[in-house]
Amino acid sequence: MDWNLLIALAINGIVWGLIIALIALGLSVIFGLLDIINVAHGDFFMVGTVMAFFVVQTTGNFWVALLLVPLLAFILGGIIERLVIRPIRNAAALSIVATFGLSIILQESVRGTFGASPRRLLAPVEGTTMLFGIEYDIYRLLAALISIIAISAFFLFLHKTKFGTWMRAVRHDREAAMAMGIPAEKVFLFTFAIGTALAALGGVVAAPITTVDFKSGVDILPFCFMAVIIGGLGNLPGTAAAAVLLAFIEGLITSFSDPTVARIASLCLMSAVLLVRPQGIFTGASR
Amino acid sequence: MKISKTTINLCVFLFFALFLVLAPFVLPLFVSPFWLSVTSEILIWSLFAASVNLLFGYVGLLSFGQALYFGVGMYGVAIGVAKLGLGFWPAFGFGIFLSVVMALIAGVFAVRLTWHYFAIITVVFSLIFYFLALSWKTITGGDDGMGFSMPPMLSVGDFEISMTDSMVQYYFILLIVALCFYLQHRLLQSPLGKALIAVRENDTRAALIGLNVYALRLTAFVSAGFLAGVAGALFAFFGRYASASYMFYHVSGEGVVWTLVGGLGTLFGPFFGAALLIILREELSVYWEHYLLLVGVIVILIVIYAPRGIVGLYSDLLDRVCKNDDDQNNKPGSEV
Repeated sequence: MDWNLLIALAINGIVWGLIIALIALGLSVIFGLLDIINVAHGDFFMVGTVMAFFVVQTTGNFWVALLLVPLLAFILGGIIERLVIRPIRNAAALSIVATFGLSIILQESVRGTFGASPRRLLAPVEGTTMLFGIEYDIYRLLAALISIIAISAFFLFLHKTKFGTWMRAVRHDREAAMAMGIPAEKVFLFTFAIGTALAALGGVVAAPITTVDFKSGVDILPFCFMAVIIGGLGNLPGTAAAAVLLAFIEGLITSFSDPTVARIASLCLMSAVLLVRPQGIFTGASR
Repeated sequence: MKISKTTINLCVFLFFALFLVLAPFVLPLFVSPFWLSVTSEILIWSLFAASVNLLFGYVGLLSFGQALYFGVGMYGVAIGVAKLGLGFWPAFGFGIFLSVVMALIAGVFAVRLTWHYFAIITVVFSLIFYFLALSWKTITGGDDGMGFSMPPMLSVGDFEISMTDSMVQYYFILLIVALCFYLQHRLLQSPLGKALIAVRENDTRAALIGLNVYALRLTAFVSAGFLAGVAGALFAFFGRYASASYMFYHVSGEGVVWTLVGGLGTLFGPFFGAALLIILREELSVYWEHYLLLVGVIVILIVIYAPRGIVGLYSDLLDRVCKNDDDQNNKPGSEV
């Protein structure tokens, strides 16, 4: 067995897992607060990669995209919440169908404007560095770093700001929070927008690593759901940990088998978790 | 004159039934013969949507994985004919049998969960087998799919009936689909069907009056798998091939969309939903490449403004018409 390949795939897994964690956090926070199963979440990620591509094309600067795209996605998320999510918020099953429609719209409008063929975005930082005895891409390490910073910032926001506290309060007990004067409607709006922005940020970070393609959201969505389920629906730290763990394990399995087998293995793990511990493996037994 | 609602409903039903029976003769008079095969396709997909409807509309379980049983039925037929050398009827039976077994195995686990969890685990199961079918290329042909040559339905000497004849193909599909809808109707009218609806309305109460909620959900799940399997087997004969891409969750999603657009929890809702969206697809895709945008918008508008779908709109209209009749009938009486 080639140890260098194993190490490279394991690090790849962790890097990818951190990016997935970013996207899955958005999915999880939307589910936890709004009770919406967002089937279009993968497409928010995809829109992020595509917007990054356009911004880099016009400005020629990746860092502008990194700041601008989440902002644009935040606005897009707010608009979507107002138009699509708010009218159906008390019907969880309908939310799956409505966001499925949303997913079709997003994919089709990207296919119409961006085109159907996948393209590549060049990494803003070229070159490799030595890491655990292997040559490793600098940009991938940078991507992991950006993801860690964004995830930490999100948790700080959730726990140290007034709005974050409102969000946690609404999630904990919607009626009581509203009775205490927390503007729940505003919290819902911002939560959905933040979730969208997180997915799009993941898209910008991932764009130089993967291809920019209108179908990329379809591939990433099951993975995000796996992270959210295995980590525990609505359990944010669990989601982040599960994403890294899953991608790491898939990376390891890929080193001696093909990626499809790795995907099947993690899907089987996910079904086992759903059946045995639907509250997720990181949630304490006493809820 | 006062027409009762039942009479109107019967007339509408007879109109559509008559249209479907006469379609091979009527359609070529107005449009190109190509529309006959579109009609066959609508019939098959409406059966697929009916399997989503049986679970979601009557038992309250939203499955996003019905494509799995469709795909298994499809592969059962294709593998049966191409690899095992089965004839038409054994292959048809083999495909349906495999999908029922698949639904039984998956159902034993899946119906232990409800709501979000049920929706997610059905997707997960279908994804597992989708990836298996993709990687197991020697048996399934992966994404390219596998073709097969159509075995005859009946052959006595030189005399042969086969689905290669477009007339035979259409009537065979119509017959099987109509039979399945009739079976579903009988199921829902039976005490078992009422018990299923009781589970949908309130599973705790259903359990308290002595119904076995788990067994009922499993029964519904296997029946839905049967409907999807029949649809898949028919579609394999219709297209003469099977492909893993029909097992992807987007196909399941389309089934859910057709059901919702047509009318959730109504017998013929899936048919009208599938018909509307497939006709839209065939008409619009010629002129506008990005017709799916419109489909997305329609889905969202229906979910928000008409959650009861086309059939719901129709029955609202019917209520209004009949009420107006009542008003007119009452007016002269009140003046006297």
